[in-house]
Amino acid sequence: MFRALAVLRLVVLVNTVVLNLLRADEFQRPAAGAACVAVMIVWTGFTIWAYDDRERRTFPLLVADLAVALALLLVTPVVKGADYSSSVPGFWVMGALFAWAIHYRLVGGLVAGLLLAAADLQRQHIDASDYGNAFLLVIGGPIVGYMCDSLQRMATERDVAEREAAMAAERARLARAVHDGVLQVLALVQRRGHELGGEAAELGRLAGEQERELRGLIHAQEAVTVVGDAESVDLVAELARLEHGQNVTVATPGSPVELPAATARELVAVARACLDNVRVHVGDDAPAWVLLQAFADRVELSVRDDGPGIATGRLEEAASQGRLGVAESIRGRIADLGGTAELATGSFGTEWEFVVPRSSPDLT
Amino acid sequence: MSESEPARIRVMVVDDHPLWRDAVEHDLAQAGLDVVAVAATGREALARFPAARPEVVVLDLQIPAPDGVEVTAEIVRQDPSVRVLILSASGEHADVLAAVKAGATGYLVKSASREELLTAVRRVAQGDPVFTPGLAGLVLGEFQRMSDEPTPGRDAQTLTERETEVLKMVAKGLSYRQIAERLVLSHRTVQNHVQNTLGKLQMHNRVELTRYAIEHGLDDD
Repeated sequence: MFRALAVLRLVVLVNTVVLNLLRADEFQRPAAGAACVAVMIVWTGFTIWAYDDRERRTFPLLVADLAVALALLLVTPVVKGADYSSSVPGFWVMGALFAWAIHYRLVGGLVAGLLLAAADLQRQHIDASDYGNAFLLVIGGPIVGYMCDSLQRMATERDVAEREAAMAAERARLARAVHDGVLQVLALVQRRGHELGGEAAELGRLAGEQERELRGLIHAQEAVTVVGDAESVDLVAELARLEHGQNVTVATPGSPVELPAATARELVAVARACLDNVRVHVGDDAPAWVLLQAFADRVELSVRDDGPGIATGRLEEAASQGRLGVAESIRGRIADLGGTAELATGSFGTEWEFVVPRSSPDLT
Repeated sequence: MSESEPARIRVMVVDDHPLWRDAVEHDLAQAGLDVVAVAATGREALARFPAARPEVVVLDLQIPAPDGVEVTAEIVRQDPSVRVLILSASGEHADVLAAVKAGATGYLVKSASREELLTAVRRVAQGDPVFTPGLAGLVLGEFQRMSDEPTPGRDAQTLTERETEVLKMVAKGLSYRQIAERLVLSHRTVQNHVQNTLGKLQMHNRVELTRYAIEHGLDDD
């Protein structure tokens, strides 16, 4: 900030020196005028050096800076005679004004602006442009001060955000290492337990359950860090949770599939209903597979089992008895989402295929 | 030992978890496979690979640097005939996909049983890709992603309708035999389709890497 101000100081110095040279005939006391210009050159050099180091930006320096600018304004009647039209420092006072605005923000800018404007208006004839310049000093100081404040705050907030992101990434890295270790051991216990049989097999089964549970949670947690929007949910993570059962395999794309929360929850509920059905009709240990495919406009979800299939006529029988079978309830829920459901069943097993549009259904 | 007995499959096991590494080594040796080397880190794996000359590398993805993906890429570069079977505990999608793109032809989660592991090693050794439904889902998703976000002026690798159909069935948990029955194809044809999809994915990866190298001037030195 003060670096930029140093450049500005040089620019206004050159401007002021040139203007004073051009208006050299206005000086009643040319020697004093030359001394004033010399003071500005020396003081500009000094302040550029002084403000460069944060340590040196102290209250006395800022007071001195403002005092020099005020003094040059106040000696103008002496140097140029009471009836002068332009002050000796002119725009050069900007240096001190912005130094106050940058260092003491809005209030600093306002104080320096008011003092400089007051000093500048100590002249006999105040015309419209003098008033305008004074007004700009009073307005410009606080505005620059306010903007410095906002910039500083934004920079601080950005630093905090960056630090938090770095910390989260590091935590995730550590968590991955920990999870991997735990998963390794659980998988090992499961495997060995199964081979040893007896009570060890029971331990192995429990370890296997925990392993799947943990893997599902990890996938879900991964998605949480990616998605910040509460309105949408990553269906991949939601479906991954279905895998905790021993025999359910979930296949999904590798990247999150964002859906409106309500749609995603309903799809997971439907998939769960299908899996429950597998357990009831095929068996507790029956394997089942869930596949999610995501396209630009729709998602396709399939749930399949290797069972004997639904006996011919069973669905019709249920319907004729006035019972709303599970199948009909599943169809209805998918239709509510604006999608379609297809059921294929036979000796190869039972397979549901759902196609649901990605945009939320029209609820009106 | 009769001479007609097929040569024992030479396997290298890379895993930083000693208990687990020993268990896998033990299982493989007991089943008559030849464990020619073991390694606990990526560095060890790369150092021992050239001398051990394994046919199959059973590789954990989460190992001390260089990681499983880098090890896969490097050993496949050194010996394109080597088969890499990824054995991962966490099955993190991005890692598995990266390893397959780097040249791995098989993937199992560690909770797979002893029999599943042995079958997988034998099949990978024969050149058959070992797909879990999970991996098939990832690969399907990856091809879909590539066709959804086409890079202008670049031809993305795409799957034929048949390949997509086969891969989808693998993702739904059907065995090659079941797929062959349903589609009225030979078992071999189904395997070829699956192999082609992996080949296309790896090809796409190589093409992308080459483009990246050219665009970033990495081929200069």
